[in-house]
This record gives sequence, C-alpha cells and structure tokens, in this order.
Amino acid sequence: MNKQLSRGRFLAASAAAGALAVNGFPQVMAATKEIVVGLDLPQSGPYSDQGQDQLRAYNLAIDEINKGGGIMGMPVRATVGDDQTKADVAVDNARRMIERDGAVMITGGSSTGTAVAVSGLCQQMKTIFMATLTHGDETTDGACHKHTFRRYNNAHMSARAMATTLTKKYGTGNWFYITADYTWGHSVTDNIISVIEPKGAKTVNNVLLKLGTTDFSQALGQAQSAKPDVLCITEFGKDMVNCLNQAAQFGLTKSTKILVPLADEYMAKGTGDNFDNVVCTAPFYYKYYAAKNAAAKKFVDAFTAKYGTPPSNGAECAYTNMYQYKGAVERAGSINPDAVIAKLEGYHFTATKGPEYWRDWDHQGISSVLVMEGVPVAERGGDTFAFAKVLEEHNGETVAIPQADSKCKIESA
Amino acid sequence: MTAASFVQAGLNGLILGLIYVAIAIGLTIIFGMLRLVNFAHGAFYAIGAYVGLVVAQQYGFGYALLAGPLVVALFAVFLDRAVLRFFYGKEPTAQILLTFGIAIIVEETLRLRFGGTTQQYSLPQWLNGSLAVAGLQYPAYRIFLALGIVAVVALVWLFISRTNYGLIVRAGVRDRTMVQLLGGNIHQASTLIFALGAALAGLVGVAASPIYSIDPQTGFNFLIPSFVVVVIGGLGSFWGAVAGGIIVGELSALTTLIYPGAAEVIIYVAMAIVLLVRPQGLLGESEIIRG
Repeated sequence: MNKQLSRGRFLAASAAAGALAVNGFPQVMAATKEIVVGLDLPQSGPYSDQGQDQLRAYNLAIDEINKGGGIMGMPVRATVGDDQTKADVAVDNARRMIERDGAVMITGGSSTGTAVAVSGLCQQMKTIFMATLTHGDETTDGACHKHTFRRYNNAHMSARAMATTLTKKYGTGNWFYITADYTWGHSVTDNIISVIEPKGAKTVNNVLLKLGTTDFSQALGQAQSAKPDVLCITEFGKDMVNCLNQAAQFGLTKSTKILVPLADEYMAKGTGDNFDNVVCTAPFYYKYYAAKNAAAKKFVDAFTAKYGTPPSNGAECAYTNMYQYKGAVERAGSINPDAVIAKLEGYHFTATKGPEYWRDWDHQGISSVLVMEGVPVAERGGDTFAFAKVLEEHNGETVAIPQADSKCKIESA
Repeated sequence: MTAASFVQAGLNGLILGLIYVAIAIGLTIIFGMLRLVNFAHGAFYAIGAYVGLVVAQQYGFGYALLAGPLVVALFAVFLDRAVLRFFYGKEPTAQILLTFGIAIIVEETLRLRFGGTTQQYSLPQWLNGSLAVAGLQYPAYRIFLALGIVAVVALVWLFISRTNYGLIVRAGVRDRTMVQLLGGNIHQASTLIFALGAALAGLVGVAASPIYSIDPQTGFNFLIPSFVVVVIGGLGSFWGAVAGGIIVGELSALTTLIYPGAAEVIIYVAMAIVLLVRPQGLLGESEIIRG
C-alpha cells in the first residue's frame, strides 16, 4: 500500500516537472539533468583509423565544454558505440543510445552507408543526427532528413572543386576507376565522370569492389593491361591504403597518373611516398587552416598536445559538430529537436575554417573545399601527417549542389 | 575478358592460395599432432606482423623475416607449456573458447602497444618494382613471396617426412599413447609442432604485410579462410592444406574476375559442397601427414 502511494506520488511529481519543462522552464531540468550524446563511429573495420580520430576529437570537445560549464549548465556525457562501418550495427548502436542511454543527439561515423541508415533511424526517432565523415551526396541529397545535418563536403563539391585541376593535370584521356561498391563510392565516381566526360575523357573501366577488400591485385592487373592515362581510386581508409600501395607494386604509380578523390591524414601516412603527386580533396587540413585561423590553431594545438598527433579532417568535423550542437541548443534555450533544428537551419558561423553556414533546405554545411597534392615523405618535415600542399581553396557555395538539381525534400516534421 | 586477364587472375589466385597454404599448414599440423582447434592462429600472424614491423624499421626487412617467426615460436612454446597442454584432447568447445580468448587478449595487447591505426611496411626499393611474368608485368615482391612459401612448405615437409623428429610426429598423429610406451617424447614433439605451426603463421605475418597493411585485427582476416582451407583439404592433412589453399585462392581470384559479387561467398560454397560430398575433406583423415 505504502509502495503504491509513493509510486503514485512519484508519477504525479514527474508529471508536474514534465509540465514545467514543457511550459518553458528549462532551468528546472538544468539543475538535475545531463546531456547525453551518442558517438556512433567505427573503431574497427576498414575505416577505423578515421573513427578513432573522431572519438579523440569528441572527447576533446566534450572535455572543453564540460570545463566551461557544459551546455546551459548541463554536463555533456558521451555514450560510445563501434559501428564497425556496417549500416546495421550503426543503426543498432544509435537505437540503443537513444532508447537505453537517453541520447538526445547522435553524431560521428565514417561512411555514407552508415550515415544514410542512421539518418533514417534518427528521423523516425525524432533525434538530431550530426553526421560527420560522410562524403556521398545522398546524406543531404536523395536521403536527406529533417533531423540530419552534414557539414563535411560531399562528392559533388569535391568533383566540381577539382574540375580545373582534373582537366589541366590529369587530362581527358582514358580513365580507369576502382570504386568502393556502396553509396559513397558510386556517388564519387559518378560525380567525377560527370565532370570529366563532357570535357572528352573516356571511361575505360570502372571496377567495383566491396568495402573491406584487402587484395586489389585483380583490379590493378586489369588497370595495368588497360594502360589508362589516369587511375582514379575511389576507396577510403585502409582500403585505399592497400589499393594505392599495391598499385605501386604493380608499377602503376609510375606509369599512370593517380587520383584519390577523398583522402585524409591517416591514408596519406599509410601510403607514404606512394601519395606523392596524387591529387585529392579534403574539407580541412590542419597545417593550412592552423596558419590562417586562430581558432583552428587553438584546436590543432590542443588536439596535438593531448594526443601527440594532429587532427585528421574527420576529427575537425567531429569537433566542430559538437560545438555546433552546443551553440544551437543554447540559442534555442532547449534540447527540443525542433527548436534546435530551427536554430541550425540557415545559421552562419566561423569556426575552424572560414565563414560557413548550414543550408536550410537540405542541411548541408556549406564551407570551403581544399584541392591538394601529395608531397613525398622527405618533404613532410618529419611529420608524416603533413602530406600535401594546397593547390586551391574553393568557396563551398560555388561547388555545392544547387537546389534546382537536388533530390532533397526535407520533411515538415 | 581476355586470355591475359585469366592468366592474371590465375597468378593472383596462386599467390593468395600460397599465403593460405602457409597459414593452413600450421593449423593442420597442430590439429593433427595436438588435436587442438587453434583459433589463436590468426593472432600468431598478427604478432609476427608487428614484431616484423618494429624490426624492419630498425634493422631492415631481412631481419624482420627472421625475428617475426622466432618471437612467435617462443610465444607459442610459452603458451603451450603454461596453458594449452591442459587442454589437449579436451572437448573442442573448451579449446575454441580458450584459443579465441587468447586471440582477443593478443589483439587488445597489440592495440595497447601500437594503437589501433593501420601500419604499413615499406619494402626495400629493389623489391618494389615489377617483373615480366607470362607476358604480364607482375609485382616482383609477390613473385618472391610465392617462391619463398614454396621453399618453406618443402622444408616443413622434409622435416616431417625425413627426420627422426618427424617420425615421432607422424606416429603421434596415429597413436599418442603408443609413442609414449615406446619411449618417444610426445610432449616435446607436441610443443615443437605447436611452435613450428605458430612460427609459420608468424613468418607469413611478416612476409604478407608489405602487401596487406596491418592493424590489431589483421589476424582474423586470415583465420577464417584458413579454416576453410583446412576443412576443404581435410583436417590434419598436410597435402590437403596445400590443395585446399590453392583451390581457395584460385576460386576467389577467378570469381573476382568473372562475377566479383560472389567472390566473398564462393569459398564457403566450396566448403559446403566438400562437406556434403566428402565430409572428411579432399585428402582427409586416412592419410594424415603421411603424404
């Protein structure tokens, strides 16, 4: 009887507290609550280097935020899941984080395959998803959702940013593609082809290989006998490292111009001198932006001091995503997803790059795209991550998918 | 699809197959002699790869090829004396749980020591080029790797079939008790075979790493196909492992050429067919390590 009563009283009290919260007293929650964020990223599998570096950046950002008083006085707590670069695992993680751990925002990830799947779930569960390293167009194009924001450049942007370099340096001869056989790979290769074929380039072959391929000898053998002018390696993470290093053993780095549409510091480190003279794009490069932007320098220095290596471009995106969420919650005065979304849409800011903003109609972050060219290890000054020189910095606005061409229709709820 | 691309695929398959052979021979002789289902075999590959990495950076690739298998062999002796000998002849479930646990401990230890990120060997320049083989330009290193594996497999075979120690091993596979009654030191032979099998995995760990980058999980990538090889060839059969390895390598490579979507699954299909038609494996049981 006693138990019954206390349970009843508890329910009444909770209802009252809930009503207060809904009626606009977020400080009532603030006294008692914490903000749980779900870090859903690969710690194993082919893209684990990238996932682990994101985790470092999230931990750094969360430490800083908590030292500064949290978000609206509420401490941030992370719940972490290894998505293994598999869509189903990523979705299971996100569901667990939301349902069991009470995560109010999911972030992280290193694959468009996982990003699109998690995005769908977060839409269903009305939870904000700050996608991190996802570069396939779909995330903010055909598969865009109201609750998903993606700041990282996409394939469309990379291909347009590289257009001049591609025709000048790589030319319009015969192109051979090795492509990761999932959403991202298709998106990148399609975009490159759509840029370079109208100029007269010919696609001699596009070999599709599943994510996690370790032996590229078959595709590389075909590339070797096709004698193309350009070998475009649309692979990422360890897969790209294996592919490019094996291409070198096949003599292809000497006989053919190599293009890697998207790269990061870990891939450049893993391929060493084989990355010399290879062109790639990236949304961030710590050496470049630390020299240009004081906030970038502060981030890069803090990251390097804490972990001993500079941040990769995915880590930078993770770090900024965390702060973007914090800012939006504070502007909204609430963790209510609709309120937070409204404060992100169309929001202009300068973080660790130049001026950038969130597009309101597809939730793509519009920020600059770097076109870079690899340098040999001897020219990296003892820092294996210092892998490239920046050829061009493009304004994101000029290379992003225009609304007229986009397949994105954001839901109303 | 040209004739050249089939030659290319055949060559790729042969080399991949030989890598599987060298790993699977270790698995199969350990099973034959110790009756131990060794899920830690992939961990031996990984230890070899990491030891080789450290030694290669300090002293060069040649020394790595010696140090990798040596360290793995010593580790295997320790493991055998300290833990595994209590599990000889026990039910396979206990062995699998134990060796799988060891594999996880090794993986996490490597992660603690070296970090989770991908590491890369760099080859000496003279090995980094390509050679003309069968009308194709083929990576020189893969050719040397293949020849090296053939030589090592031949040496292991000579050891088992021509030495007194090999005699104890072959007899031990037949009947452990009888060998002991006749005064043969079966425990020593078991430890030796375990170390030898492990060292082979460690050697491949060093030798294959310039092709495949390494990380703490590397060993697992080779463990499963190697078990498929052993099952196809016949558990405990030396030449079965050789035949199974080549078959699995060629099947993967040719399927990658003809229908890449099935390349992953084809080896399991082959294993299922072998298990249905000839459950003891192609060269199984009746001729364990006899040849």
